[in-house]
Amino acid sequence: MISRRNYFAITILMATVLFLCMCLNSLKDGWNDYAVNRYTETAENYPSQINMYLPGGEEEEPAPEEGTEDVWSLAAASRDRVVWIGPEDSALYGVVEAWVTYTKRDIAAYPSLTALKAAEGEGAAWMLVTDPACVDWESGEELELLEGYVEAGTHLVLPGLPEVSVIEGNKKLRDFLGIRKVLEQETTVTGYYLREGFLLGGGTFYLDRESPDAEELLPGSEAYPGEKTFPWYLPGYGTKVYMRGIAAGEQVKAENYPIMLWRKSHGTASVFAVNGGLMDGLQGMGLLSAMAAETDSYGLYPVVNAQNMILAGYPSLADENPEEMERLYSRSVKQVFQELLWPNIAAVLEKHRYKATCMMTPQYDYTDDNLPDGRQLAYYLKIFNEHGAETGLWGLSVSDTPLAGKLASDGAFLREALGGYGFASLYAGDMEDLEIREALGEELLGSVRTVVREHDGAQAMPVGFLSGDVTVQRVIGDGLAYTYENDFLVRCMETALGYFSISFDLSRVAYPEEDGDGWEQLSKALGTTIGTYGQTFRGFHATTASECDARIRQFLALDYRDGRIDDAIHLQVEGITGPAWFVLRTHNEAIEDMEGGSWQELEEGAYLIEVTDKRAVLTLKPADERFYR
Amino acid sequence: MTMLTILQTIEVAAAYLAVTLLLPWALLRRRMTGIRLPARFMACFMIGNFYCMNLVYLLQLLHISCRLTLFLGTLAPFIAVAAFQWKASLGARLERRLEQLRQVSEGQLGRRTLMLRLGRRLGRMSSGWLGEWLAPRWPEALLAAGTVALILYIYGTNTVNVYGYCASDMVLHNYWINHMENNNIFVDGVYPFGFHCMIYYLHEVFAIPVYVLLRVFALPQTLMIHLMLLAFLRLLCKARYTPYIGVMAYVASGVFYQYTYYRYYAALPQEYGMLFILPAAWFAIAFLREKDFARRRNLILFAIAISMTLTVHFYDTIVAGLLCLGIGAGFVFRCLRWRYLKGLMLAGIAGILIAVLPMAAAYAMGKPLQGSLYWGMNMLSSGGGEAGEGGVEGKGGSGEDGKKEAGGTQDSGKKAPQGGGLAEKLQKGVVCVLEELKYYVTNDSMDAARFMLGSVGAVLALGVLWLLLRRPDYGGALLSVGVFMGVLCILQASAKLGLPQLLEVSRYSVYIGYGIPIIWGLGLDAVLYLLFGEKRAIDAGAVAALAAACAAVALTGVRRPACLSAYESNDAIICLTNILHESGGEGSWTICSANDEQQMTWGRGYHYELIEFLRKQEEVKEQPVITIPTDTVYFFIEKVPLLYLDYLNTIRPSREVSLEGAETPLPKVKGILPYIGEQRWVTMSHMYYWARAFRELYPNEMEVYYETDAFVCYRIRQDAYNLYNFALDYGYNE
Repeated sequence: MISRRNYFAITILMATVLFLCMCLNSLKDGWNDYAVNRYTETAENYPSQINMYLPGGEEEEPAPEEGTEDVWSLAAASRDRVVWIGPEDSALYGVVEAWVTYTKRDIAAYPSLTALKAAEGEGAAWMLVTDPACVDWESGEELELLEGYVEAGTHLVLPGLPEVSVIEGNKKLRDFLGIRKVLEQETTVTGYYLREGFLLGGGTFYLDRESPDAEELLPGSEAYPGEKTFPWYLPGYGTKVYMRGIAAGEQVKAENYPIMLWRKSHGTASVFAVNGGLMDGLQGMGLLSAMAAETDSYGLYPVVNAQNMILAGYPSLADENPEEMERLYSRSVKQVFQELLWPNIAAVLEKHRYKATCMMTPQYDYTDDNLPDGRQLAYYLKIFNEHGAETGLWGLSVSDTPLAGKLASDGAFLREALGGYGFASLYAGDMEDLEIREALGEELLGSVRTVVREHDGAQAMPVGFLSGDVTVQRVIGDGLAYTYENDFLVRCMETALGYFSISFDLSRVAYPEEDGDGWEQLSKALGTTIGTYGQTFRGFHATTASECDARIRQFLALDYRDGRIDDAIHLQVEGITGPAWFVLRTHNEAIEDMEGGSWQELEEGAYLIEVTDKRAVLTLKPADERFYR
Repeated sequence: MTMLTILQTIEVAAAYLAVTLLLPWALLRRRMTGIRLPARFMACFMIGNFYCMNLVYLLQLLHISCRLTLFLGTLAPFIAVAAFQWKASLGARLERRLEQLRQVSEGQLGRRTLMLRLGRRLGRMSSGWLGEWLAPRWPEALLAAGTVALILYIYGTNTVNVYGYCASDMVLHNYWINHMENNNIFVDGVYPFGFHCMIYYLHEVFAIPVYVLLRVFALPQTLMIHLMLLAFLRLLCKARYTPYIGVMAYVASGVFYQYTYYRYYAALPQEYGMLFILPAAWFAIAFLREKDFARRRNLILFAIAISMTLTVHFYDTIVAGLLCLGIGAGFVFRCLRWRYLKGLMLAGIAGILIAVLPMAAAYAMGKPLQGSLYWGMNMLSSGGGEAGEGGVEGKGGSGEDGKKEAGGTQDSGKKAPQGGGLAEKLQKGVVCVLEELKYYVTNDSMDAARFMLGSVGAVLALGVLWLLLRRPDYGGALLSVGVFMGVLCILQASAKLGLPQLLEVSRYSVYIGYGIPIIWGLGLDAVLYLLFGEKRAIDAGAVAALAAACAAVALTGVRRPACLSAYESNDAIICLTNILHESGGEGSWTICSANDEQQMTWGRGYHYELIEFLRKQEEVKEQPVITIPTDTVYFFIEKVPLLYLDYLNTIRPSREVSLEGAETPLPKVKGILPYIGEQRWVTMSHMYYWARAFRELYPNEMEVYYETDAFVCYRIRQDAYNLYNFALDYGYNE
């Protein structure tokens, strides 16, 4: 017999268990408004292309507040002027121009030094970026001209160097560039060494795979940034070397390794020289930012502060390629995606606190009879919603179906499954601008406000506007094919913009093209990529494509001035209403206090600043103080 | 840094006293019952020092000296005694003792509970045994505490305010002690090793850096020197408080010339050896006072003390020998008896053999003598003529490394006239001695010199009087001290008197200064004893005499605590301490400086000679690369360069580095000479302008690590693959 008291207690207990198991899940399901994309808020009030800062635009000096003229007049000093010497149609000019735009500086371009000299009345340059091909090194006059500019306090950046024979035969030029000796006309290095404290992400080695520790230092890499064969120079006095090639042979001392990127100090200004084509492409922006930070006691510049993990082509909702899936995984693609991929991906992303942007597609192949499953769509939207992931649309297909056709088919499916779904982001891969613009006019993409595109080496702007209200953000690395070149590019982008976007093309799982496309291999590559970047750049914020879009708009629209008085850096932000992010690079100094925002240390001498007010004051202190005094 | 120095001094003093007083007391306290406290204090101290020194030497000889062996060696006597005492029950006792530790390790007994129990036990001890002991002695305890406070004030002021080494040869001692870590005790040749063994022992067992020990050990050492003086007087005097008169006058009176006590500001072997002179004298006197029993103990302690004087510094043995001579004269009535003479001679010879044999063995094995020993022997062999004839000895003497001191020279070229009768010769001799005392011991005060010499004469007279009054032990002690001091005073003038020179002329003054308080204390005591006999009133008389002595000191001038100008600036030491603190054994670093941080940071970092660095800059055209392959490089630059002139720096530097100095060619001289006086100023000026030029090129990289008005330390952090090229045409390269 059971007593009434026990009976009552057991009943209460069972009711509680039932509530916990059933009702909570039911409530969670009921409150999960997965059918509505939370990122499709109206972008009407967002900054658009008309708000974007453009170099050379009309400047309106901010009026100093009463009583604070002295402090803010310094911050409101005229902006730095960067002068490009070389052809304006070169890719390098695009990089410099983009960097100048992002850092809110002014730019002027001249075809030659003579033209610059002729236009001397237009104001002194803060930095001269000179295409070495546009300088007559042998005449001596132009070298003297450059020396004059440097002596006057203009920093000189040489993205490449004159011919090695010219350098070898001209001691004055060697002294000017900080080259003590030309050891060899040409050498092929076995790897690179990047010094700590120049680019964000710390120092690193890029070694040939034969090297026993290459796999440990940076696994799975082959492609290198820049060239591996270049002249072997040794640095002279007054130089600081940021990057070296690693010479073959054990007899060579590290201090005699060929230099690739260095600075020669001339007192008030520096000459930055780049050997081996390191500045070609987007990485030039990061190098310019790092160089700029080296020229002063501090460097402060705006950044996007966004890190995106794009799962391209994930998920697909149709049961495709069944024979291959059965052969490889003994299950359907839906099961592979749901049971293998998602738990794995979610765990890795969560471990490093990244947010996923899942660029879904109802199906990869629009020519077969395998149609998408509406229940799968609901399932994924629910779990993405729970994990804070964004659902975007993958604009590609394995069947090479035209975008318009694909969009029509997808729209029909979504209407049937959910009564329609608004996407805020579109993955456009390597599609042409025109094709994308046309697609954006379609009803299904009416709510899209950002387009994720693959990185095109020729395109200099990693983030910008595609049209008046739609931004574009470029993927700067393939997360499933890790290379040294990619790693270097990511470091450069993080340094210049605090931005990176890595895509993982998961359509390769459903349609494997080679042996390495099995999930066992791909999951390792995915884990390595996320783990490496997660460790290296943990300071920047993780975002989805749409969150990144909002930050890109703010970043492009903002304008700022800064100045330093003693230990205080005064920063004035204009053009936006929300928060803005900056990177502060210091030398042996740390932030003691901040008014008008907050800060976070990224690494030694690098801080992420979030400015919430129009004006902010950062107080610096020595990075390390003496314990005994 | 001041607080750190105070803590370091306390740590060093606690470690030293624990090893040399506490452990011997814990081991031998039952065997020392019946001995007066000052003698017990001396005995424990002698045994502790002797054991440590010889333990280190033995282990060094076997090349197994390290923390573990030293620790085991320190415990060995306890284990031996325990094993002997509790043969059968040792295991059970050990088990009982370790029970609490077992309970703590197994978590049955909390650490706090254990501490509480120990605290209660200590509390019971302090309130019980200690309280009982102190109750009748509190006035003297107060007086002793006051004396200690006075000593700490007078000498501690320098220790806590001046962080650098206060004597030029300390870096050399540092170097020798460092190499003991490699079991290489005579790295630079055979040298009395006692001081080095003790410092090494403290360094190894207590993990105190050698440079810290050498910086602060002077204070505990000086305190003990004065406490030995107090204990010696306390053993000899009849009145309880007269010993304090001597010590107080010695510490506080301004009549003494600074050189008589300036050496106490540095941890030097000679001063360390002074610790054992008075105990040697006391144990010899105690032996001679004894009728029959326990004779062996005093002889053993006498032998130990004599051995240690020789183990630490030859000069101390010479002075101890002179003191023994005085004792022989004072107790001549006993010394002429064979059983006393035999005992003393055997003990003395044994003591000398104990000290000499290890050094002789090392010498026989091919180790040459250290250079300063040749210097010392030259001083002996040159007799009294050298200083007198040359007339170049500075007041304050010259260092053992041959550096001459700043300071006045005396007119010592003339010898005392040889002609005339005995009375005239005697009179001239006395005048000569007075002049020398005035010059070397007093602050150029003939009155003070007369008073000192007169005091010696008075003590001799009182000694004779007490002998006549049939107090042979007391009278003998007075005579012993009187004769010893008389001989020392004559030796001070040996150069002029044409007598053999036993010590370097200025060093006599240190010992005379140390002996004068004995003369004063004992002389007053003898007078009081004469007035009051053994009545209780003698203590009241002693208090009155103490008050009068205080008044006299106040009237004749009180000594103010002095701060020397050290051989390394405070700023450099602060930087060095910070560097060691920050590096924590990680990373590699180099200090480029004019100081000997190489020895101070031995095994922790690297050192680059400033002059070498600058000379390389002169060859910048031929050798355009100068790299220093460590993670961090520090440059120590004195904006107001030290003078580094005299053996004990007394002159404050004031000349700043300047363009004029940088334009002057770098000194071509070798060794330490580029860092002395004018040359140091030139060297530092060059370095300053090099640093300025380098900083123009690397404004963000060459950071100011530490800066004051007189000093700046720059730090450059390097990348191992991208070392900075320090070669630079800074405008003043020749």
